[in-house]
Amino acid sequence: MTTSKRNPEGIITMKADHITKAPEASSPAEGKTFSRREFVTSLGGVGIGAILGGMVVSSVLLPEKVFAIPASGGYLLVDTKKCAGCTSCMMACSLTHHGETNHSLSRIQITQNPWGNFPEDITISQCRQCPFPACVEACPTGAMHADAKTGVRTVDEAKCIGCERCVNACPFTPSRALWNFEEKHAQKCDLCEGAKFWDQKGGPDGKRACEEICPMGAISFTTQIPAQNEGGYEVDLRTGTVWDTLGFGGAPQSGGHLG
Amino acid sequence: MSAKLMFNSLAWLVWLAPFAGILAAGVTRRTDPRIEGDSVLRHDMAARVEHWATAISAVLLLLTGISLGVLFVPALLGPGVPIWTALNLHFAAVVMFLFGTFYYATNTVLSPKRLAEHLPTGDAVEYTKRHYGLLLGFKKFTMPPERKYFESEKMAYLMAAAATITIIITGLVKVAAHSMSVPGQLMAVVTPTHDIATVVMLAFIVPHIFFAAILPASWPILRSMFTGRVSLGYAQHEHAGWLAELEQIGETSDESNDDDVIQTPAPKRVA
Repeated sequence: MTTSKRNPEGIITMKADHITKAPEASSPAEGKTFSRREFVTSLGGVGIGAILGGMVVSSVLLPEKVFAIPASGGYLLVDTKKCAGCTSCMMACSLTHHGETNHSLSRIQITQNPWGNFPEDITISQCRQCPFPACVEACPTGAMHADAKTGVRTVDEAKCIGCERCVNACPFTPSRALWNFEEKHAQKCDLCEGAKFWDQKGGPDGKRACEEICPMGAISFTTQIPAQNEGGYEVDLRTGTVWDTLGFGGAPQSGGHLG
Repeated sequence: MSAKLMFNSLAWLVWLAPFAGILAAGVTRRTDPRIEGDSVLRHDMAARVEHWATAISAVLLLLTGISLGVLFVPALLGPGVPIWTALNLHFAAVVMFLFGTFYYATNTVLSPKRLAEHLPTGDAVEYTKRHYGLLLGFKKFTMPPERKYFESEKMAYLMAAAATITIIITGLVKVAAHSMSVPGQLMAVVTPTHDIATVVMLAFIVPHIFFAAILPASWPILRSMFTGRVSLGYAQHEHAGWLAELEQIGETSDESNDDDVIQTPAPKRVA
């Protein structure tokens, strides 16, 4: 309640509202009133106490965080010995995800060394969908995550704050987590799960644009986790094909010598 | 190489800062403006703490925020350490900004007259046009006796307050996203809203710095943001209405130091 009175100088003096304790309070100070100042001071103190207390309690009672993540539903395999370096996969990747053909927006990268000798002159850098993805672990906001249904490591663009920790965290060079310089967020291979400019169903259960477009059949797909080694997911996609007859097969029994 | 982001490791400070501001306001005893010989106390210590905590942090927030990329402006920083440094500076500014704004807001709750003196009157638009016309030298006009704040400043106050509230609400959601799962759809609204409010804040703060700090005519008032005082002559010339109020209230009112007691002038136009 507010009371007011006018003093001789014509100034109205009002006593500010007071919050009155509930009448049923059984403390000795029954009927005591709190001023607004006392109320906000208490609010500040209680708030600080609650936060600091909560931190202490949570550090004692809650267990250490465990980084657990489901396996991806699929993996891209490549055979660089079949790759002609046409970059059709890069253009298809960019086109299906962004509606434009731009090598810099592709989530799969072909790098060529014009002075290199076959088969070291071409490298295909595709995301490995790592079992323990450093990019997901590094993300501070959960933007880089494993899809709940398919396990595919992908980016929720709305959650990305652009810190690029994922880009730096990826243990491979070039980083498989890429920076989209046009839309300013991280992006990576999602096995075409989010290829919104493609009229085909993508993802582990659908098709992958790079795999579909590759004229050399240098890109394949598996649902089994490939062996984790230095060579990554480099496999022989020649043996058992016409490449054998050309002497470019991988298996000794096919007469190949390229491994 | 990677770095610790304070938005993750020290996020609790963001939630603590508002309560620290509230508590600080609760234990602060304000001094009302008063005439002291040939000077006038315009801003007490609490007002200066509010102003500089908010001002310094807001400038830092704008610089780091824009560097990190706002709306359609690309990030100005390279990947790695520059971005992480900007994010950590942004964090430090967030904590300071939250303390300053909650300190101000709570002081205002404790003393609503301080809010009232910031709110524009019906003359606001016309006075604002004339005020800036005079400052920039293309209008000749004798200003009516202004009160503590010019009508133009009161208009800008509304814009700054709206931008500040929006930035704080959306910013807290962005901070929460570091420690809990916030739906992507919500973040898709929150992030551009935060950015738009940033642009509004920029539209406020750049003219504010120009008219309140760079323009020589405003230097006495800039000085008062450090010393708390303006000269009696300046107050008479620029804020005659406010000075008349102070004279009316009297310079030795004991009750004026108690924020739980609200003093308002009798309902007559001073200016």
